[in-house]
Amino acid sequence: MGPAIQLSGVSTTYGATPVVVDVDLEVAAGEVVALVGRSGAGKTTILRLVAGLIAPTSGTVRLLGAAPEVARRQKRLGLVVQDARLHPWRTVLENVRLPLEVNRTTQVNGQVTPARWLERVGVADAAGAYPHQLSGGMRQRVALARALVVDPEVLLMDEPLASLDELTREDLRVELLRMWQLKPRSVLYVTHDVQEAVLMADQVAVLAGRPARIIANVPITLPRPRPATLRRDPAFHDLVERVRAHLA
Amino acid sequence: MTALPRRTLVDLGVALVALALVALVLEIWTSAFRVPPYLVPSPSSIAVRLWTDAAMFAREAAITVAEASGGFVVGTTTAFVAAALMAQSRFLERTLFPIAILVKLTPIVAVAPLFTLWFGFGTGPKIAIAALITFFPMLVNSFVGLRSADAQELAFLQTLGASRSEIFRMLRVPSALPFLFSGARISLNLALIGAVIAEWTGADRGLGRVIFVANANLDLTALFGAVLTLAAIGIAANAAVGAAERRVLHWHPIVVTT
Repeated sequence: MGPAIQLSGVSTTYGATPVVVDVDLEVAAGEVVALVGRSGAGKTTILRLVAGLIAPTSGTVRLLGAAPEVARRQKRLGLVVQDARLHPWRTVLENVRLPLEVNRTTQVNGQVTPARWLERVGVADAAGAYPHQLSGGMRQRVALARALVVDPEVLLMDEPLASLDELTREDLRVELLRMWQLKPRSVLYVTHDVQEAVLMADQVAVLAGRPARIIANVPITLPRPRPATLRRDPAFHDLVERVRAHLA
Repeated sequence: MTALPRRTLVDLGVALVALALVALVLEIWTSAFRVPPYLVPSPSSIAVRLWTDAAMFAREAAITVAEASGGFVVGTTTAFVAAALMAQSRFLERTLFPIAILVKLTPIVAVAPLFTLWFGFGTGPKIAIAALITFFPMLVNSFVGLRSADAQELAFLQTLGASRSEIFRMLRVPSALPFLFSGARISLNLALIGAVIAEWTGADRGLGRVIFVANANLDLTALFGAVLTLAAIGIAANAAVGAAERRVLHWHPIVVTT
């Protein structure tokens, strides 16, 4: 089985301005790769390239061994964005059902029902509520549930915890780690938070420069499962410092 | 939600008191200074006229409302379809928008007599004028509304392989609803004005015709009676849109907080 995500020599421009240049990035099956960089470094652009929402001006993007469009059509791709608005006219449960309602011709292999997913992410009580009645943390939990309801092999996460308060962010990190422990997925995790990147990922890719390129790949050798106490581990701090050194 | 009807009643009460005060001042003024009824009729004489000729006002109003409704439906539907096309393609946006501007800039008073000339004195030209006047506000509101869909939600649907029509139906149209309602509010009142103007330039029936004839005969109680009837219809139409809006947009934060 080849890599889940493979970018080779990918460049793209915004108008005439190059945004990312010559990016090589690989996410192996079942691996979590964090993409870190400062705000506006082009992280989201790379995510959109992976999803095939924008086309590269040069280089190739392969998702599950094919063009991104194929994986999209087969519903093998999940997306969690920062501060997800959800569909405000749908209840929480209806929002999680949405992915099953679009692109109906594709059978999803997801065996877990939307209601069960709400339980798993801890918002079962809010099933009948509308998004504007939820806190930011609850909305992100719903966003997670609706991305996972099609049981995607590849999960793209764009600063999924960035707009949350520290305590909620902490809770959700732990839950994400637990979920990946239960069922590994290939994840591209975009964040500007270096500690979060080290905590979550098997490998951290550092994006920097203007136009942006990947300037370093730091393998995260910390064992899994990763407990919350990992933050006190000197090895954790060494890795954080190594990643941070590339960003300075 | 349960507090809403009560607030509406209070609003209505305040509005009625304000109107009554204006009427009272006019009543005292017209009788104290013996203002001739062909200049400013007293509110009481207008009320009497509305009462005695109620059947006539109702009959003519029904015609104007029918014309305005027809125009509203034709104008807003056309506008929504045009906006949907424009929202789908930049090319159509560039080709259709100048035409829309042309329609908007055409003074209705200039084309109304022309329409009468082309289509005669029947309901057809009235519906056409009302449609023409409602078209632009609905076009702009629909277009902005359809384009207002959240970019991240759009990306989410795209990563699931949603088709253009699914995105339109599941994301763009619901996102546009608040805009469609404000468009409808503006367009409903404009449709009434359009129908009246159209009747003015050549009609044998309708409130516009009543106003036109009353004006010619200095029959000011009939004129103001027709104007007040028109105002009442406008207020009722707005209230109806407001009620529909609260029902349909119950999920919308603005509706919830007001």
